Formats: sequence, structure tokens, C-alpha cells
Amino acid sequence: MLKGFRNFLLKELKEFARDPKILLGIVIVPLVLFSVLGGLMSYAMQSAEESTIRSNFVVINNDCENWSYTFIKFLSSSGSKVFVEENVELNDGKLIELLSKYNVTQALEIPKGFSANITAHAKNPNITASVKFYVHITTTNIFDATRYLPIDATISQFNRALAPDVLNIEKSTIIKGEIKHNVDPATVSGLMVSQSVFIPIAIIILLFYSIQLAATSVAIEKEEKTLETLLTLPIDRLTILFGKLVGSMIIAAIGAVTYIAGYAYFMQSLISKTTPNFVMDLVSLGLVPSFLGYVLLGASLFVTILSALALAVILSAFAGDVRSAQSLVGFIYPIIFLSTFALMYIDAGALPYALRLVLYAIPFSHPIIVSKAVIMGDYVTPTLSIFYVSFFTLALMYVASRLFATEKILTAKLKLKWFTKYGKTTGEP
Amino acid sequence: MDIAVEVSEVTKIFGNFRALDGLSFEVKSGEVFGLIGPNGAGKTTALRIISTLLLPTYGTVKIFGLDVVKNAATIRKIISYLPEEAGAYRYLSGWEYLEFMAKFYTKDDEKVREMVNEAARISGLGERLKDKTGTYSKGMKRRLLVARALMNKPKLAILDEPTSGLDVIHSYHVREIIKKYVKDYGVTVILSSHNMLEVEHVCDKVALINKGKVIAEGTPRELEEKFESENLEEVFAKVVKLA
Ligand SMILES: Nc1ncnc2c1ncn2[C@@H]1O[C@H](COP(=O)(O)OP(=O)(O)OP(=O)(O)O)[C@@H](O)[C@H]1O
Ligand SMILES: [Mg+2]
Repeated sequence: MLKGFRNFLLKELKEFARDPKILLGIVIVPLVLFSVLGGLMSYAMQSAEESTIRSNFVVINNDCENWSYTFIKFLSSSGSKVFVEENVELNDGKLIELLSKYNVTQALEIPKGFSANITAHAKNPNITASVKFYVHITTTNIFDATRYLPIDATISQFNRALAPDVLNIEKSTIIKGEIKHNVDPATVSGLMVSQSVFIPIAIIILLFYSIQLAATSVAIEKEEKTLETLLTLPIDRLTILFGKLVGSMIIAAIGAVTYIAGYAYFMQSLISKTTPNFVMDLVSLGLVPSFLGYVLLGASLFVTILSALALAVILSAFAGDVRSAQSLVGFIYPIIFLSTFALMYIDAGALPYALRLVLYAIPFSHPIIVSKAVIMGDYVTPTLSIFYVSFFTLALMYVASRLFATEKILTAKLKLKWFTKYGKTTGEP
Repeated sequence: MDIAVEVSEVTKIFGNFRALDGLSFEVKSGEVFGLIGPNGAGKTTALRIISTLLLPTYGTVKIFGLDVVKNAATIRKIISYLPEEAGAYRYLSGWEYLEFMAKFYTKDDEKVREMVNEAARISGLGERLKDKTGTYSKGMKRRLLVARALMNKPKLAILDEPTSGLDVIHSYHVREIIKKYVKDYGVTVILSSHNMLEVEHVCDKVALINKGKVIAEGTPRELEEKFESENLEEVFAKVVKLA
């Protein structure tokens, strides 16, 4: 087995833990980042609330008595554009059809007996009227999470004008072509926002972090001239390689946890503003991966991070010092960034075949592919994906171990001639 | 006496530059062997090949009969190498550094403690061993590394300019330690140096190399007689000028 691994790993962790730069990256940066993010979010929420007044919806009037017309007039006066349909028997398909007919995402149903109930309320306060509010959530409008919050404000204004608690609202969510009765759309969209923003951001941060750490820990041995001594010790070169990989992975995971905790805190504050009963069976809604899904997602993340680490180690083996190692691995960042976000927001199926192949070939896009697949209950794609990335990672690890096994780790220097030449020719007329 | 190091016809080519060009010499067990020569002669390159860091382009090197290419892992158990330019981990204290190194040679905690205490004595750093090595002066760091290289009592110690950057007192101290280790523990030493006085004092045998070749070899006395010189410095100047 790898002799001296524990000793070496312990040294790696000590070095990381005592480096103020790493503390800065793990503690200070997330704090700053999330206060900024928090500020941005509350700003986004504010502007969303303002824009609600102008948001449009279709009203299905199945009552068609006096009070229903008064209510519709009230809705229109609040600034929203209101399309009215009368006497429609509602089912899932019909509702979606109406929404697309008017190109809106929200519908309000005034049920039969609405006016009668309002009239009766004057005599018996126990009788109340209610309206049904539906929001169609698709992947393209998830950022409108808070748009329809002010429907509550409109209802309470109506109540204030008429009588306290005369009118109730029942909210439902339309998702994946189905009406989920009494599921608050704000909760669902909050969750979807968190999935579509949070997952890629967490993956990107995790990858960037591990790469940075691995590159630094390899290059610092050269910069501080400790590598030569290390390579003559009775310690397997693979121990050194794995020590660097595992050490970086542990610190990156700690970093990721602080980032995720910070992010979750902001998501929580966003969600708790919109709904008190967040605890609901989200798995049954099909919005949260199952246990197997989480296992696959974890496995996918693990092999992807390992591939990033191995790549970082290979690249930094060619650098003489920490700074050049960091600029070398900097070339990986745009690839991670583009592949992650491209797949998160673009439907891969709509891309040209060649471009899709390129995206699938990059290991860093796979956690997103897997996270999308497991939510849809697809476990075949993730399994294939994990196999592919593992294979890719093994190939990289093999290259890295070859580098560490020979004198190349000591003597390899990337020739930057091309860059110098390029810089010179552009400098001259 | 058996042969500790056998360098035969070693050539090392970097790109299209010949750093070593058919270098050959032998070091006997229990001997202190000195490599001297002008800057860029190939001393460090030779020591790096002997310590399994670099591979010879041509030729062979054997350490106690083991081939540096084929038996590198075994050789690493019996040698220790002090690079010409080396650092310690800046966020570890001197103690932690020594302990980290010692643990690669033994699993026994008692032996680790012995080694570390030995190294503490050699380094003469005392209380400063508790401080992070990042706070050490150049000479202090060098003392720590010299101590590290000797603490495990290797069969062969390869020391590239062991006293560079050390003050007079500490250079003297390190030289005495080297001699003591050879005498008491039978350690074989191969070192390079630019300090001819040091070489004369410590080395049993000397090889003068230039442009990757040995151009003169023998005990300091033999060399002085052969080149009719007062001391090694004069030998050096004459021989290098001739070459
Ligand atoms: N990794 C390398 N790549 C290219 N050339 C190298 C490399 N290492 C050493 N050289 C060259 O090999 C020659 C011998 O270098 P070496 O370091 O062995 O000299 P030295 O005798 O130790 O000199 P000094 O007394 O200055 O320490 C030099 O010309 C040096 O430039
Ligand atoms: Mg040298």
C-alpha cells in the first residue's frame, strides 16, 4: 500500500490550514460573495414585486354574477392586463391551453357561487368566498419566482375594501403539464431557482477551488525548493500524487461546504419570505432527486473533481512557480464555466450535433447532465456519464503518475516561446 | 573496502547540451568524496543522477551495487540527498519538518523521536525549532536541512554544497559532524563544494570536474604533489586553466 500516505497527507493539510490565503478564499470570500448576492437578490425581489402590477393573467369566470365582475374590475384597476374567459370547465389540459392562448403564465379561477358566498358573508361571517390561483412554472420562467407574490396584496386590498376575510385564495402550481393542487408556486419556483442557479454555482466553485489548490500544492514544492528533497525520500511517487489530490479535495470540500451553507442561508431567507410551510413532499412532486439520484450525483461530482485535479496537477507540473501554475490552470476555467452554464440553460437537444458532442466530451459538463437526468428519474444517462468521466479521469491520472514517476516532474518546463513571439509581433507595426 | 558509488561513463544531455560527458569515478565505502569544479561543470547534475532524481542519458551509476535507474526505490531507502538549493515547508515548524521527514524512515515513534532529537542537536537551532521555518534566516534553514540529511544515518549521504550560506562557526560545526558520522556510523559521503579549505579538511578523495568530465582525481595530498601546488586552490586554478 501507499507507505507514508498519512504522514504526507497530514503535512498537506497542515500547510493548507495555515496558509492565510486559503483561509481568505474559504471564509472571507464566501462572506463577501454572499452579502453581495443577498443584496442582489433582495433588489431582484423588489423589482419583481414592482413588476407584478403589470403582470398579466387570464381570469376564468365560472360565476358570472355581480360580484365576479366587480372583482375583475378591481383586478384590472391594479394595473394588470386581464383576459377574461367565461364558463369554462377546467381540467389540466384546458387550463394549459388557455394559458398559451393568451401567452400568460398565471390564471385565476372564479368558481361558481362566488357572488353568492360574498353576499352570504354579510349575514354569516363564517361563509367566505374563494378564488383559485394557478401559476404555470416552466424552465424558462423560473426566475419570475416572486412575481405573483402581490396577488396576496391584491386580495387583501379587496378584503379591506369590502369586509375582512371575505375572500380567500387557493394557490396551485402547474408543472410538467399537471396541476398540483394547493402547492404554492412560490415554493416550487424558489426550489427550481435554487436548483438551476445553486447546482451550477456549487459545481463551478468546487471545481475552481480544487484546481487552484492542487495547482498551488504542486507548484509550491517547486517554488519553495522542497520537491527535490521529497523525490529522494523513500516514499512512493504515487503517494505524493495521491496526497496532493486527496489533500486538495478535502480542503475544496470544506470550502464548498462554507459556500453552500452561505448560499443555502440566502435561499432559505428567500423562500421563508414567500411561504411558511416549506416542508412538503418535494420528492413526490418530482422536483428533488431520489436517494439513488443523490448517490449518482455524488459519484458524478466525485469523478469530475478528480479529473479536474488530475488535469491541474499535470498542468502545474510544467510550471516553475505558483504564479505560472495558476495562470496555466486558468485555461481550464472558461471551459468549466461555459460547459456548465451552457448545459444548465440551453436545451442540449436543440444544439447542432457536433457542438453537442463537444459538450458531452468535456468531463466538466457531466455533473449538470447527471443532475438534470436524476430529477427526471433517468438513471441510465448518469451511469453512462459516470463511466465516461471515470475513464477520462483514469487516463489523466495515468498521465499524471507517469509525470511523477520520471525526472519530468523536476525538469519539465513549458516553452512559452509562442506567446512571447506572438506578443512581440503584435507589439510591432 | 567495498565500492559505495560507481559512476561509469555517464553522459547527461539536456536538449542538445551535454552537461555530463563520459563522467567516471568511484567512491569507496566509508569515504568522504569531494566533487570540485567551476560553475556549470556538472557537479549538481552528477549528484542528482546519483540521488535518483535525474536519469543518465548514457552510462550507468551503481550505489552499493544497485542501479540508479532500475533500483531507484531501494536506493532511496539508503541514501539521503541535500540539494544545492533547498527549502523547508514554510508553514511547518522546524520540529514538525524534522518529524515529517523522520516518519518516512521508520514507523517506530521512539525511533522518530531519537532521529528528531539527533537532528535538533546537529542543527543547533535550539528553541527556534518551535518557530515556523518561514521565519528562519538562510543559514538557519540550511542547518535544518543538513541535520535532516544526516539524522537517519544513511549509508550514503549526497551533499551538494552543504555549508553554502553558513557562517564560519556553523561551517566548522557541520564539517565536524560529517567527520563524526563517517567515523561513528560508517556513513559514506559524497559532497560538492567551492570551499577548497573545506575540501582539504574533510575529503579523503577529490575529483576535479570540468565540462562534465573528470580532469583530475586523487587525495588532496596527491593532487598537490602532482601539480606542484601549495594547496587545492592552486591545483584547481592550474588544472582548469590547462583544460
Ligand atoms: N534542467 C536543466 N536543463 C537544461 N540545462 C541544465 C539543466 N540542469 C543543468 N543544466 C546545465 O548543465 C550544466 C551543469 O549544471 P550543474 O548545475 O550541474 O553545474 P554545477 O557544477 O553544479 O555548477 P555550480 O557550481 O554553479 O553549482 C550547466 O551548464 C547548466 O546550465
Ligand atoms: Mg551546483
